[in-house]
Amino acid sequence: MRILLVQPAPFECGRIGLENALWMSEPGALTAIAACVEDEHEVRIIDMRLEEADALPRVLSSFKPDLVGVTCMTTDAYQAQAVLHCAKSILGEQVFTLLGGHHPTLVPGEHDYEYIDAICIGEGEDTFTELVAHLAGGGDPKDLHAIDGLAFRSGDTQIQTSKRSQARELDTFPAPARHLLDAYKGQYFFASAMNMAAIQTSRGCAFDCNFCAIWEFYEKKVRFLSSKAIADRMEECEEPFIFFLDDNFLTRPKRLEELCDEIERRNIKKYWMIQGRTDFVVENPELMKRMRDCGLMMVLSGFETNDAGTLESLKKDNTRENNLKAAKLLNDLSIITTGIFMAHPDFEAQDFEDLYAAINEMKITIPLVVIHMPLPGTQSWRENKDRLLTEDARFFDLLHAVVPTKLPRREFYERYAAWNESTEASIDSSLSMRFMARRPRLMMAMRPGMKLFGERREVLRKALNDPENYLRDEDEIIGELPIAAQRASESAVRETEGVTA
Amino acid sequence: MSTILIEKEEPVTEAAETEMELSPWLAELRDEVAAHPGVNHLLLSRLRTGRYTKGDYRVFGLQHYPMVGTFTRYMELLLLRAPSSEQKLWLAKVLVDEYGEGSDGEDHASLYLKYLYSMGVEPGEEESTPLCTAVWEFIGNHLRICREEPFLVGLGALGPGHEWAIPKMFHKIIPGLERAGMSYEDRLYFDLHTEQDIDHANWMSEALEQLGQDDEARAQVRRGALLSLGARFRFWTGIERCVVARRQPHSVDAVRRGLLGRRRPDREESPGNRQELFQAIQDNWSGKDWPVRLPSDTELLEVSQ
Repeated sequence: MRILLVQPAPFECGRIGLENALWMSEPGALTAIAACVEDEHEVRIIDMRLEEADALPRVLSSFKPDLVGVTCMTTDAYQAQAVLHCAKSILGEQVFTLLGGHHPTLVPGEHDYEYIDAICIGEGEDTFTELVAHLAGGGDPKDLHAIDGLAFRSGDTQIQTSKRSQARELDTFPAPARHLLDAYKGQYFFASAMNMAAIQTSRGCAFDCNFCAIWEFYEKKVRFLSSKAIADRMEECEEPFIFFLDDNFLTRPKRLEELCDEIERRNIKKYWMIQGRTDFVVENPELMKRMRDCGLMMVLSGFETNDAGTLESLKKDNTRENNLKAAKLLNDLSIITTGIFMAHPDFEAQDFEDLYAAINEMKITIPLVVIHMPLPGTQSWRENKDRLLTEDARFFDLLHAVVPTKLPRREFYERYAAWNESTEASIDSSLSMRFMARRPRLMMAMRPGMKLFGERREVLRKALNDPENYLRDEDEIIGELPIAAQRASESAVRETEGVTA
Repeated sequence: MSTILIEKEEPVTEAAETEMELSPWLAELRDEVAAHPGVNHLLLSRLRTGRYTKGDYRVFGLQHYPMVGTFTRYMELLLLRAPSSEQKLWLAKVLVDEYGEGSDGEDHASLYLKYLYSMGVEPGEEESTPLCTAVWEFIGNHLRICREEPFLVGLGALGPGHEWAIPKMFHKIIPGLERAGMSYEDRLYFDLHTEQDIDHANWMSEALEQLGQDDEARAQVRRGALLSLGARFRFWTGIERCVVARRQPHSVDAVRRGLLGRRRPDREESPGNRQELFQAIQDNWSGKDWPVRLPSDTELLEVSQ
């Protein structure tokens, strides 16, 4: 079988978004499932974030795949649908179209269209392998009942097969087929760390923050790749930088000590970036130092807020003190801190000022202020469903307020859009000469990417700093009334008309 | 978000049963047209799957509108160069239809204006709106093809390149217009072109069957179709940029292209509005150069390679 796997572009060309400008990592989900079937089938991957718009129809016409698979999160959900629509449009009914990823898993009903043959629910490797075997063996593409972890149309309804178990040990999966991304080599990056590989060393998260759906996706289970397997994969990477895609890398100190042992024993010289919690940083300063010496260059953490009460309401199970201490510790170790903070829709003017002041006090190297939102599939979403002002997936990008704001929306966005300018002091004080002097080799390694990152950042800032951008996005889409209230009011009108009639 | 409207759609068949049977070379060309990136531009699928509003379609329409008034101009140019009366007759049949016969007295331009006004376009705005370079390029390319290329290349551009391509493209646009709240009456221009152009396509096919007697003639027809569709692809790309720029004038795409090593300015200057475009068409007729640099044939043909 010929299989085409597609990473969609997150937005229409030109649209505002953090991705593309700050961070673009390899499509790890696609290389992972490709690895499961590439021995027996011809597999290609196309990354639409790095392609011109004509690339997709060209590949579809020339490669003529039997199966097209697309992965997506929430903001790129319509783009993923467009890819599959385009595939059916060019290749007709003979192509099987499959959608997978975070958003379709959590809300499969939103992807019940005639141009999507099946949706992969949850972890993809085993489901994809069985599906490909079924189709390659001449199985009926409409009769998928025997394959766990799928949703598909049967008659007029969308049905789901039995839940796919997500208990398989990560070491038993084949290593991702990264060679399928050779055409894009050197184009993945985080800030000025150009030429970046990506490795996922664990799946799931043991915490249950109410704004995050990771733990729900993985049913609160966490599985880890062994240190030996991680080191093997690091050695296979030609790239100088590696991003560990784990949602929470900083867990189980013993595992990380073992990883450092492997890195030291094998003399692996890579710079690596992770996502992790500040409490772990504070509780394990020596381990952080050891990881720094083994190549750790950046920790991306959800600091979320400067307010203890808000941390509690988010079920973050962390403290403001930990955030402060972790920022200082990472700065002292010359590890770049990327801190994500949330502006809450019920912020008043002073709350914005306080947040920006707190960020500057913490000296975060790369501060990112996003807007708190109930993301589909999260506890927060279920609790706030009646307050949603839109159900348009594109708006769940952490840059728009999808519930009513306490301030008038214009003022809210004016104050929000000021975050870049208002947190300049944080960047300046973090990236001190002392910080850089302590890691001269890292600075040299990042140098080639600095000019391009500077350009990307400038354009992104122009977009992010303009409050009108957010308001124009909302035009005709976000009104004053929540969707639920609009529907209730429309339904009441209909009932009244019915009574009158 | 589980309450989002879930559509149950009919598969796109485009009234295939009414299409005439084609000889192998034309059938092959029809398949090539159907799979061409210009006919399957991602914008069209995005319109189909995304949540575009009337305001977005208004921008789309204001850029698309000039095409409506120029198709007859290409046909007229080609008519002048048709080598025989029989061929003139085929072209004339399509032209008469394009002038408005069969549309209750309303020509295509009036139907399109109805669509624009239903989206809140003020009378006159359709003339004064700056048009993006891609619109000027598309029209300039087709004027050139119909005037300078051999007759069969022109026929390929207007026949397979238009009449086969348009119903397929408009089928993708219509569900998005419906979703944005446009009634059948308001979007009649688009619906009409998914029906009426089947007839046009058949007339054209009949002509092509008779004229495409040898490999050279067939190659000319194919070349015309691919030149037109290459221009069409660039046109959709330009339109998409306009639609996105309405909400996001600072193009993050410029960054992306910077990444790809294919830099493009954050914004581009419009070569002019529709009035200026039609003046340029007149001037071009009188021998003046087209005011916008046109992409080379290689650039247009490589879209499908």
